[in-house]
Amino acid sequence: MENKVVSVEDLNIKIKLDEGILTPVRGISFAIRENETLGLVGESGCGKSLTSKAILGINDKKCLTSGKINFNVDGKVINLLDLKFGGKEIRSIRGKTVSMIFQEPMSSFSPLFTIGHQITEFVRLHLTKDKNKAKEIAIEAMRRVGIANPEKRYKQYPHEFSGGMLQRALIAMALVCNPKLLIADEPTTALDVTIQAQILELMKELQKEYKMAILYITHDLGTVAKICDRVAVMYLGKIVEIAPVVDLFKNPQHPYTIGLLGSVHKIGGGHDRLFSIEGTVPLAMNLENKCGFYDRCIYRDTKLCCQEEPALREVKEGHFVACYRDASTFEKQNK
Amino acid sequence: MPDIILKVKEMSKTFSSKKVDVRAVNHVSFEVKRGETVGIVGESGCGKTTLGRCIVRAIEATSGEALYVGEDGKEYNLQSIDKKDMRSIRKEIQMIFQDPYSSLDPRMTVYDIITEPLRANFKLTKKELEDRVKAIAVKVGLNPSYLKRYPHAFSGGQRQRIGIARALVLYPRIIVCDEAVSALDVSVQAQVVNLLKDLQEELKLTYLFISHDLSVVEHISDKVGVMYLGKMVEYAPTGDLFRNPLHPYTEALLSAVPVADPTIVIERIPLEGEIPNPANPPSGCFFHTRCKYATDQCKTQDVEFIEKEPGHYVACHRADELKLKGIITE
Repeated sequence: MENKVVSVEDLNIKIKLDEGILTPVRGISFAIRENETLGLVGESGCGKSLTSKAILGINDKKCLTSGKINFNVDGKVINLLDLKFGGKEIRSIRGKTVSMIFQEPMSSFSPLFTIGHQITEFVRLHLTKDKNKAKEIAIEAMRRVGIANPEKRYKQYPHEFSGGMLQRALIAMALVCNPKLLIADEPTTALDVTIQAQILELMKELQKEYKMAILYITHDLGTVAKICDRVAVMYLGKIVEIAPVVDLFKNPQHPYTIGLLGSVHKIGGGHDRLFSIEGTVPLAMNLENKCGFYDRCIYRDTKLCCQEEPALREVKEGHFVACYRDASTFEKQNK
Repeated sequence: MPDIILKVKEMSKTFSSKKVDVRAVNHVSFEVKRGETVGIVGESGCGKTTLGRCIVRAIEATSGEALYVGEDGKEYNLQSIDKKDMRSIRKEIQMIFQDPYSSLDPRMTVYDIITEPLRANFKLTKKELEDRVKAIAVKVGLNPSYLKRYPHAFSGGQRQRIGIARALVLYPRIIVCDEAVSALDVSVQAQVVNLLKDLQEELKLTYLFISHDLSVVEHISDKVGVMYLGKMVEYAPTGDLFRNPLHPYTEALLSAVPVADPTIVIERIPLEGEIPNPANPPSGCFFHTRCKYATDQCKTQDVEFIEKEPGHYVACHRADELKLKGIITE
């Protein structure tokens, strides 16, 4: 795999609490290439947001991060975790090489400054110190994401924008420095379906134009099917399955992925009961030495699955799964 | 069962401030049969939540009426009913709220939360209270030994179950679910949707299911109403609506639903512009500013909500001639 924009290797995050050590992210590895969208899917608390924030280096100081986050910046490989927390180097990467859009556009902007001011601030930090030039760049960025009449909108405050427009402004701000990697943390969850579709199409379009890599974090499998090239499914701080999007949806291998896909209702699919995964996600603390999904798995094997936690193995080119069992035997068991 | 339990007639709600009047709900009419689930969909700001709140009378409607056929077979107008009757009717109409984090009082134990409606409505002994709460807890899948805990000790899905238990403990006949599963993860969503369906079958409940998530609505509802800018623009049995929409807004809304299958590509019908300001809605058909089929008639002439096909209501001047695409195909 060449053209890797970022490769994460064996990322671990630990948080020390009074009750013990929480391990929300446990040994994650993945890479994203230029022009590729990787979806990171999982339920709340599976560690997907912590992973993305680790890549930006904006996690709380309490989060003890180990492993490697290798960035390919102008031909050089930089391990982000080697850089000083909050230091000059990481600040020059953050926002310029990698930037992020968040879930709530309404709370991502400061209500006290105009949208233009906030985008320009970004430009002046990374691109140019010239005020007028920065304003030009910002207005151009706003036009690019489909904000009508950007000269007028530039002077407006966030409360004068609708949710969809605000999300566009946030994308404009994230893309103004042409980042190599864009992290999108549930960018459309707070939006209506029609606006959501617009924003997803916009992201695809801009990706084509600028060849950036996108890390798309969500729990909504519908939008994943629409936008991603590859998908990684996370459960309890680990990637349990990673595959090209069609393989994952058509031929899921991990019982958790199968369960997730089964619990999504398909329009026109009748009114039968939805499949639901029993139980809830356990707390990532003092985990036993067995498969993390064991207690909720309907295909568990009392002997096989209680050894060490399964590692990812390749079942088809580019399709990895962390499960001891062979998915082709699952259906027989179901019948 | 053909008997109608709720009839909403020309209901309107106007929020007024010094400067402007906003018609959040604008002459909405529909009927709900007993044991049915009616989904109300639309984008944010279309008035679906306000409609639900007006029906349970959490807020007063400005005009119109909601006729409710009570357990005793009598018809009550929920908008003009006297206080004493309202008290007894409230037991039969309950609500489940969107956010399981803010709809439970953090200073009350789960037991207190669930018994509060009982204590407000009946004089029960301690033993009776306890038995009833335990029975409900088991029904919604809460472990009765956790009842002495506070809401913060529960996960989102568990909290939503507490909200459901609180609504169910009075044995209501209608439950208004306002985005009841929207804040939950997919797998938990599936659990709660299954629970709602099981309870409906067992207790013959009627649901008014307000949501912006069209996939869930398609799954759970028998009929669906689509709202735009305070008006109901289409109301039809679920299959008809998804197969054969009659209103251009419904068509566009359906085409935007993300399908969890990367091999299916639905061509999206783009909606131009943004939702107009509800304080100053367009003339004629409210949707004409964004409708690609709009004619001069649509710009000037008000549109009526009429029954085009049996049970399929629509408010569109051109409903007869347009051939719109649904997203279920045979």
